[in-house]
Amino acid sequence: MITIKHEGCIFCVGCSSVCPASAIEAVGTRMEHYPEKCIDCGLCVKVCPANVITLHKGVKSCAELKGAKA
Amino acid sequence: MKFDHDVIVIGGGPAGSTFSRYCAGAGMDILIVDKRKEIGVPVRCGEGLGTREVFAQGLDLPKKCISADIVGAKVVAPNGKEIVWKGKETNGWVLERKFFDKWLCELAVDKGVKVHTYTRATELIRENGTITGVKLSHGGRDPYEVRAPLVVSAEGMESFMARAAGFKTVHSLYDVDTCYQYEMKPYDHQNLIELYFGNELAPRGYVWIFPKSDRKANVGIGVGGNLTNGSKNGGMPGADPKALLEKFISTHPQLKDSSTLIDFGGVISVGAPLDEFVKDNFMVIGTAAKQVDPIHGGGIALAMETSVIAANSAIEAFKKKDFSRKSLLPYETRWKETLGRKVAKRLLLRKVMEKFSDDDLNHIFNNMTDRDLNSVMDGNFAGPVAKVVAGRPQLLKVVSALIS
Repeated sequence: MITIKHEGCIFCVGCSSVCPASAIEAVGTRMEHYPEKCIDCGLCVKVCPANVITLHKGVKSCAELKGAKA
Repeated sequence: MKFDHDVIVIGGGPAGSTFSRYCAGAGMDILIVDKRKEIGVPVRCGEGLGTREVFAQGLDLPKKCISADIVGAKVVAPNGKEIVWKGKETNGWVLERKFFDKWLCELAVDKGVKVHTYTRATELIRENGTITGVKLSHGGRDPYEVRAPLVVSAEGMESFMARAAGFKTVHSLYDVDTCYQYEMKPYDHQNLIELYFGNELAPRGYVWIFPKSDRKANVGIGVGGNLTNGSKNGGMPGADPKALLEKFISTHPQLKDSSTLIDFGGVISVGAPLDEFVKDNFMVIGTAAKQVDPIHGGGIALAMETSVIAANSAIEAFKKKDFSRKSLLPYETRWKETLGRKVAKRLLLRKVMEKFSDDDLNHIFNNMTDRDLNSVMDGNFAGPVAKVVAGRPQLLKVVSALIS
């Protein structure tokens, strides 16, 4: 799963422009992450000019966790 | 079916506003929705714009939109060699984007366009497979439905509704530049756009200084998206745009003591435009369609020029009451015949340029004049290529793509 440190975010929407799963979107005044859509590919992490997104490896994605629950 | 508007335009940037202005001028009923609280804010752009398209549309740019007049460009090689280049192509402005976007949007309103800010398109409405409108949410409140026979995506980089309509608007890392930029003061400039090249300075990109009013300047960097943030995830080590920009500033004689007034950044599309711009009842224009100059990453001029072509098609379709793909297709065809050719040449140039080592760049800058730069930007590569290859034949393999 990924986490966004919103404090350093410059709201450039770069992450959402490269997200193949449409899992990050600018909503209101912050970037909203939809964990249920996220595929943990890490492209947003690479592209972020402010370097505020982190991919937590070895942690199950939220989508997987959700699937396991269902 | 009863429609609320003739067209819903998603996004109130230069593309959406210009498109709407033209369509409304032909009597169409347009709604622009923009998810931002204020049109033009936040700015995520170098704010440069050539004079040509603004004059072509007969617009008189108000003073508040112009931060500085640009009379030329200065390009700097890794070894410090400078070429100053002044020509028709380089005449322009550095804008105050937040005023410019708002002014363009107001021009549309003056023509009768309706604009709703802080309104996000959440979903496309489809009935029997046909797009008939969008669901909108104002400031996160419950979505409501608005219907129109034509939906236009002028959404910029995100282009979520265009994705929902089936366009491949997701960007690959290779086809974007990630950028970080400061507005800085004081900086005493000569009304020149300054571009600094070098693979260590800005891998597959460059550092720019765009002059602004009152001894200010936008100082920014663009780095190839596939090379960014290498310390994470195996890209190029150290290619962190913010860190590289700070390194440049710390070694710059004037800027090292200057203050930053704004932090901004963005991700710029520098790849090929979408394969298609229209589907039944749907059009994509501007940056949403990846209509961006792959060399300098500028999108405003192309967006404004595209919008006229797109609006003409939409107006024709409106007269025929037929918003099918076939009816909207002239936009796509005309674009590819005109602007598309220019963008394709620029893309080719970008792909050749990214292969140059710093030594190559030094050699090229040593052998080029401002005139050569002019022909390169016009897409006439043969002369400059011959000059460059004459002294450095090993470059032939790299640059031959430009003349084949």
